[in-house]
Amino acid sequence: MAARKLQIALYWGAACGGCDVAVLDTNEFILDVAAAADIRFWPIAVDGKYHDLEAMADSELDLALFNGAIRNSENEHVAKLLRQKSKLLVAFGSCAHMGGIPGLANLVTKDEILATAYLSNASIEPGNQTIPQARTAVDGMPLEIPSFYRRVYRLCDVVDVDYFVPGCPPAPDQVKAVLLAVVKGELPPLGSVVGASERALCDDCQRTKSEKMVRHFHRPFEILQDPSRCLLEQGILCMGSATRSGCGVRCPNSNQGCRGCYGPLPGVADHGASFLSALASIVDSKDPKEIDQILAGLPDFISFAYRFGLPASTLQRSYR
Amino acid sequence: MERQRIGVFVCSCGTNIAHHVDVDAVCESVQGMPDVAIASSYRYMCSNPGQEMIARGIQEHQLTRVVIAACSPRMHEKTFRGACKRGGLNPYLCEMANIREQCSWVHSDRLAATEKAKALTSAAIRRVRHHEPLESLTAEMCPNTLVIGGGIAGLTAALELADAAHDVFLVEKTERLGGNLARVDLTAPHLDSARDLLTERITRVRDNPRIKLLLNSELRNLVGYVGNFSATVRTNGASGAHEEKTVDVGNVIVATGYQEFDAGRVTHYGHGKLPNVVTSFEFERMLRTGRIETRDGRLPQYVAIIHCVGSRNKEFHAYCSRVCCMTALKYSHELKSANPSCYVSDIYVDMHAFGKGCEDFYKTTSEVKTLFLMFDKNERPVIRKAAPSDDCDMLIEVNETLSGERIEIPADMVILMVGMEARSDSGEVARLVNISQDRDGWFMESHPKLDPVATTTDGIYIVGTCAAPKDIPDSVAQARAAAARILGKIAKGKIEIDGVFAEVQDERCSGCRMCNELCPYSAIEFNLDTRRSHVIPAACKACGACVAACPSGAIKGRHFTVEQLHAQIEGVLL
Repeated sequence: MAARKLQIALYWGAACGGCDVAVLDTNEFILDVAAAADIRFWPIAVDGKYHDLEAMADSELDLALFNGAIRNSENEHVAKLLRQKSKLLVAFGSCAHMGGIPGLANLVTKDEILATAYLSNASIEPGNQTIPQARTAVDGMPLEIPSFYRRVYRLCDVVDVDYFVPGCPPAPDQVKAVLLAVVKGELPPLGSVVGASERALCDDCQRTKSEKMVRHFHRPFEILQDPSRCLLEQGILCMGSATRSGCGVRCPNSNQGCRGCYGPLPGVADHGASFLSALASIVDSKDPKEIDQILAGLPDFISFAYRFGLPASTLQRSYR
Repeated sequence: MERQRIGVFVCSCGTNIAHHVDVDAVCESVQGMPDVAIASSYRYMCSNPGQEMIARGIQEHQLTRVVIAACSPRMHEKTFRGACKRGGLNPYLCEMANIREQCSWVHSDRLAATEKAKALTSAAIRRVRHHEPLESLTAEMCPNTLVIGGGIAGLTAALELADAAHDVFLVEKTERLGGNLARVDLTAPHLDSARDLLTERITRVRDNPRIKLLLNSELRNLVGYVGNFSATVRTNGASGAHEEKTVDVGNVIVATGYQEFDAGRVTHYGHGKLPNVVTSFEFERMLRTGRIETRDGRLPQYVAIIHCVGSRNKEFHAYCSRVCCMTALKYSHELKSANPSCYVSDIYVDMHAFGKGCEDFYKTTSEVKTLFLMFDKNERPVIRKAAPSDDCDMLIEVNETLSGERIEIPADMVILMVGMEARSDSGEVARLVNISQDRDGWFMESHPKLDPVATTTDGIYIVGTCAAPKDIPDSVAQARAAAARILGKIAKGKIEIDGVFAEVQDERCSGCRMCNELCPYSAIEFNLDTRRSHVIPAACKACGACVAACPSGAIKGRHFTVEQLHAQIEGVLL
């Protein structure tokens, strides 16, 4: 008897679409997936409506990959539906895993975001006073749109998540490995981060590393870098030492510092804080004024250190 | 998490704790906590019956963890770990809650202090659940010692060790032994000859086959840890050639001494400009050659000695250089015996005569008719050239504070009592042997009162004036103290290493090297082959700097794990 085809779904919450593209980036492999699996729900590639999902029996799906953060009620609603309808739910990519880039919105309040988007933005009609509301009347008919939350959540903040696949986006090889693992039923313990190393990126980075003493921080374009030497030692911010490996060292190999999309190492409670603590330790000065000057060379540090994980951090959100 | 049987012992410390903390209420509050098997209080937990109570409690109640709410762990942690060991429990399975220094001693509101004591005790209980049994380690002790500096302190230390039949490498930067003492004539207060003091030591050092004397030499590198150092010494030969050799030593004695304050920095004393203004060391040279004379060869009739040049002054050094007062008195004696008709003025700020025999020396100096004039340290005497009609070379104006008068005195010669200062190369030495300096550049001791010759780096000792200004008896005593400390360790043969140290978890280290340069004790080494960092337990002081810095969470602070600290914080907050 032929093996029952795998029933899978993919969905996006607050996301840029890159994770969906990463799945397509597996190229012809996706055709093998299509052959081995029924893609039951995947807005970017196959037609489908909410009611199709709602109509499924509980646990009818074998696997649901959810990318994107939880920004509004629609994201949460579909996340809960997928949880209910699927045996396995995977937080796929940095946004679902840790909140991702949309999570940086937690640095400001909901009101500030709406004001910037609809009231004081150069690209809107001058004098606009309209901010979309969850419920409104258009021509006397009620119109409902998803409600915008006060903060951004990770997927695991709203539903139980079985596995986490980090990356912005996850590397195509890791995507393949994850899908194959499900097909073969070779699954790690529930709650694991899969498709990533248990060591930091430095372990795989081929740049030479020596003792670190930094006197100046530079943005990548400001200096001529030595392509064979550790970026951080050259004063270019690189989160590699604080970030799981598994991406294939994509950024440092492109002469950019690691941006931390694979998240913190196991057992590390706060990604940005762990990097900040390390960074503070290698500033090569004992003079408080000079230290201040050196640290002033770090532009918008919070957005750097928590670029992908503010909702997963101890900072949570702005309470102003 | 597995169930524990925790015994809680609350100390009254007589009334020290009990006066401001309701000790029984603390006991009651923890009685119902999960895993607490017993909670009892006692008047003096550190006394023999108190310790016995803990040891017996462990056995009778099959305790697996012990919490003692008492004083600071700095006071009695060792005591209570000992009690646990006697009761058959690994000593690291014990935790102290400090309800004395952090509670009863600093609060006066009994109710609030009791609440805080409860919170600290509950925190200790939560923490101790996560404790792990630890064992101390041992390492070999190499019996050779490196002594840096061939002054009186270095010579004495080297002899003390070599006389006990151990090898010593004595490294001296210059071409001769004796240090600053070799520049001195007689020594106060007994007026013994410095030459005599030194000659005996130097001869014995040169004759002792156990002492490898390395003149014109400097330490270039020191790696390893107590008992197992490897020291690279460079010897400069004639014509600029030099050779380096590496020796194994177990301990290092730093006896690098001091340098004299540059009198030219106090510009208006005119040193270097007025020909007959000399420093104490320049005057010593005159004494040693036996010719006390002015630049033009006359016997000086009026000599003024000015104290505290560079010392006890905010502008230069705030500290007292300790030996100059007695040295100045010595000059009075030597001047009077060379020329009984000479007038000596001793212009001082305060007369410090605290050493053995020094007060008597001060009295006898007053009897030889030295004129003592006191000045305020912020109002220095003014030296100016005398007019041709005056009967002297220079005139000194002093605001004499005892009489309140402005006094002018004649002088043919002025002796500036220059203070001691940390050597200009002391920063380099501190870096090489990994010890700290205070704000004046002096090397810092492990404890200024209780551990004065040890440093915070095990196996590195500081003796003599490299640690602070001091006289010959104190320098010699320190040299012998350091030698005794080292001989004790050599006799033991092995060194015991506390079970609390940082540990790199190899399977989590990515080899980023963030921690390598950070360790203040140079305890972290990097293996270039495996590309992993490693902490040398014997060199680690468990300060936690690397634990906090490791961005991968790969370094574990034994006995200070994240779980233990988080549990403790929760205990205080909940």
